[in-house]
Amino acid sequence: MNGKPTICGFCSLGCAMYIETSPERGVTGVCPSANHPVSSGRLCVRGWNNPFTLLSKDRLQSPLIRNGDSLEPASWKDAIDFTVTAIKRIISDSGPNRLGIIGSGKLTNEECYSLSKLARAIIGTPHVDGACRFYDASIIHPLIETSGVPASHTDIESVLKAGSILIVGSNATEQAPILGSRLEDAARNGCVIVAADPRVTGVTRQAKLHLRPKPGTDLIWLRGLIKVIIEQKLYSNTAPTLPGFEEMRNSIEDAWADIAKDACRVDRDSIMEAAKLLAGNSPTIVMFGLGALQQPQSTQVVKALANVANLLGGSIMPLRSQANAQGACDMGLISGFLPGYRATDHPATMKKWETAWEANLSAEPGMSAIGMLEACASGQLKGLMVFGENLVRTAPNTDATRAILDKVGFLAVTDLYLTETAKLADVVFPACSFLEKDGAFTNIESRVQRVRKVSEPIGESRSDLQIISELASGLGIDISSDPLVVMEEIASNVPQYAGVSYKALDESWGRQWLRGASEARLAPVPASTPPENPEYPFTLIASRALFPQGSATICEKSSILRREQPESFVELNERDAERLGLKPGRQVTVSSRSGSITRALALNSGVPEGCAHAPGHFGDSPNTLASYGGDPVSGTPAYKACAVKIEAVK
Amino acid sequence: MTIGDKLVLKKTDTGRFFESLGQEMRLIAPKAAFGGDVMFDVAQSPDEIVWDYGHDVCPPKQFVFPQTEEMLRYEANGKANIKNLLDAPKQAIIGIRSCDVSGIKTLDGFFGSDIIDPYFKARAENTVLFSLVCNTPPKEECFCICCDAGPFLDGGFDVQLTDLGDRFLYEIGSEKGLAATEPRSDALRAAEAADVQERKRIELQADSQFQTKTYFAKAIIPISSDLVPDEVWEEMASTCLRCGACTNLCPVCTCFTVEDRAQSGESFLRCRSWDSCQYAGFTREASGFNPRHTAGSRLKRRFYHKASYQYIARDGHHGCVGCGRCVTACLTHLGAPDVVKRIRREMHKYLEPEAV
Repeated sequence: MNGKPTICGFCSLGCAMYIETSPERGVTGVCPSANHPVSSGRLCVRGWNNPFTLLSKDRLQSPLIRNGDSLEPASWKDAIDFTVTAIKRIISDSGPNRLGIIGSGKLTNEECYSLSKLARAIIGTPHVDGACRFYDASIIHPLIETSGVPASHTDIESVLKAGSILIVGSNATEQAPILGSRLEDAARNGCVIVAADPRVTGVTRQAKLHLRPKPGTDLIWLRGLIKVIIEQKLYSNTAPTLPGFEEMRNSIEDAWADIAKDACRVDRDSIMEAAKLLAGNSPTIVMFGLGALQQPQSTQVVKALANVANLLGGSIMPLRSQANAQGACDMGLISGFLPGYRATDHPATMKKWETAWEANLSAEPGMSAIGMLEACASGQLKGLMVFGENLVRTAPNTDATRAILDKVGFLAVTDLYLTETAKLADVVFPACSFLEKDGAFTNIESRVQRVRKVSEPIGESRSDLQIISELASGLGIDISSDPLVVMEEIASNVPQYAGVSYKALDESWGRQWLRGASEARLAPVPASTPPENPEYPFTLIASRALFPQGSATICEKSSILRREQPESFVELNERDAERLGLKPGRQVTVSSRSGSITRALALNSGVPEGCAHAPGHFGDSPNTLASYGGDPVSGTPAYKACAVKIEAVK
Repeated sequence: MTIGDKLVLKKTDTGRFFESLGQEMRLIAPKAAFGGDVMFDVAQSPDEIVWDYGHDVCPPKQFVFPQTEEMLRYEANGKANIKNLLDAPKQAIIGIRSCDVSGIKTLDGFFGSDIIDPYFKARAENTVLFSLVCNTPPKEECFCICCDAGPFLDGGFDVQLTDLGDRFLYEIGSEKGLAATEPRSDALRAAEAADVQERKRIELQADSQFQTKTYFAKAIIPISSDLVPDEVWEEMASTCLRCGACTNLCPVCTCFTVEDRAQSGESFLRCRSWDSCQYAGFTREASGFNPRHTAGSRLKRRFYHKASYQYIARDGHHGCVGCGRCVTACLTHLGAPDVVKRIRREMHKYLEPEAV
């Protein structure tokens, strides 16, 4: 095939694929790369099918500007002028910090960096964050505290060499099938897998020990696991010398109290067995997915997981969501941090970046994406700009989110399609997909890889970098629209990316900026019990499914993927269904304090009693059931532990 | 010069030989891609051909049965305004491995008998296959020897090349091969006994080097007679991650779907693209009923095509050419050798020995 190599944009593993295109028909062929270190000749069902949808006719063709109730086609010049005028008006009327900017892990590093710069240095607002807030932002603070950097300490190839793997809250076989495949191979090689997941999944079937905690209670059994490791001296020789050891040990003194009350449904014997299996089979990799990262205490959970890895001398591997989740955070598309994880409350950092960007930067930590949406509701923010994220689907409480986006004084959106979010905007910019632009993504093993332009842009669409550059230019400051130039700036300003250039990335399959953690320390993890809510007796787990991944905004365009999951459903254990007098196939309403969804009931003995499981579906997001206010530190919604009730549709 | 001739093409003459062939047809050949990858693609010059490649990921079947192809364009305005978009350029596929030649031969049986597929047929007729035998199996997953599909072929190729060091043994296998050779006969000389002997030696040596052995024969009866219990199929398929790579990359698989895509105005484009019998939606009927609604039933169907007596009797050979791509690309362990082995072993549990 006449394919060009690029990196898949549909999950955070960063598989390489060759894409063949024709000007008339868009993508005509997809093929995996034989030698890529992550994918090694393989692709998952999304990799094989999704690219065919990206260059389709239903993409946004031109910018749109709101005129009353409708969005009307406009020229690029008018759309940029309209947006620049709105930004200037907000700055002059209320100040730059009345404007918020939300980016996405679908953007390249060059785009994320430039967006961070546009917000902080050109507009002058500290309120800039990424869509990781809705997925996996809860890793940032705890991993900085326990290892200095929020990134994986190992690579995907090393999974095959692990002696044991603790995997918490990830159905990797569906969310990241290439990694799920490695887990199966690891298990076949004799690696001991301890999986913690309330449900039976493709991953738990590979496990030697499957812990089935009640959703949202991982902190309870993890504190027990740490206590066993310490009491039985199962830790590595160097663990007692790690900073924070004593304080951490004191913080878990009462670990058995909640376990004795059966608060997490994992008993003491299972925890002891898990500790022995992990400590007895080194090296250990501690992996955790959105199941761990989208619960009411996810920051504390990540601290506990990092403690387990550090005590055992193992490595952590956070399993993140979007293709460039890692790179977006590296580039400062996360509130409170400048590129390279330098906190905004650090004077030397601020000075460095003020020099680099030739601007005065606000020292405010800035609001998270969740905080920004709440501030739009309260009127504190006058305008919001959203780059490449369909917030109506990814944010919690869909009705509330829609109302917020409808209410905010000014909303600008860039996207491939006229999404539910774009429909609420005052101005919509048609953006290019990853097939139509150059740049780099950083995968979950911190491998910076080249994304290559394999097709000319659809319609009048432009890359987010071009859009950012034109907005900056309208505001009187230059940001290069050439990704190569931006990467050079990144390499000279962001320590982790020193030495990264397109030339260096082309020498092989990219380069990893982190190999092994440097500053291991232990963090205290005090007890914290999630509240019970008798009015909503079931706990809903909203999962990401194999076919409609993420918000499904792209997957739903694929006729083959849609065909594989034609109907949405919610799963209950047979006993619960019997108790409620519900038969499979019956339409049921799942409702929470925030919203409700109606779906067909399916029975699954792999879903524990007292739980309901709703996989994501095309255009019907169970995220609506979660509320604003999840993890108190990161703000990440508790999509994996939402109190609901279930009733038959009358 | 006639079919069956054994000639010699010196490596120093391959440039001018294929340069000349390139005047008559496009050259498809293994080319260096990124990071050590090799892909079959149009070669602008013979210099681009990678002669010492091992095996490519995506079989060259894509040049006779493309991943996606435009079939026709029509207007939905009440008039019969249909434009056939058949595009079948004259082409030579150079360096294609024996397994993939055998694969194209099998496709020919499917698309070329009963109801003849004009798209495939036109492409196949305009294609000359210059196969390159494997002096050693290029991958540990290769098992063409178990499928009578390599490493050397007795027929089915247009021209078969064997690397003899500084020269290729050049065997003409068909009229098309003969026609593509004759105008360039000055670049060739007749093979000597030593050349033929060397080829024989390499063939014997290659035959002994396969690491993957697949005793298809032992699985044929249980599969043909439906003796493999459903629970065995379901257990095997329980780890399938439904990527579809086994069928996408299979040189023998023919499943496709047809889609009419709306163009501007009332114009529609009918496209055909690869599909997979391993997808549930492939066999789901309009009523919602799915005759193969479980992953196990779909796996069973796939292997019925690969190794049932009924298909072997119809086609004269297995529905598998032993290229090993389903082994390499599978996200779990459902490549043909794995499944055949598991069937053999599982059958011991379920059957009295004499039943097998």
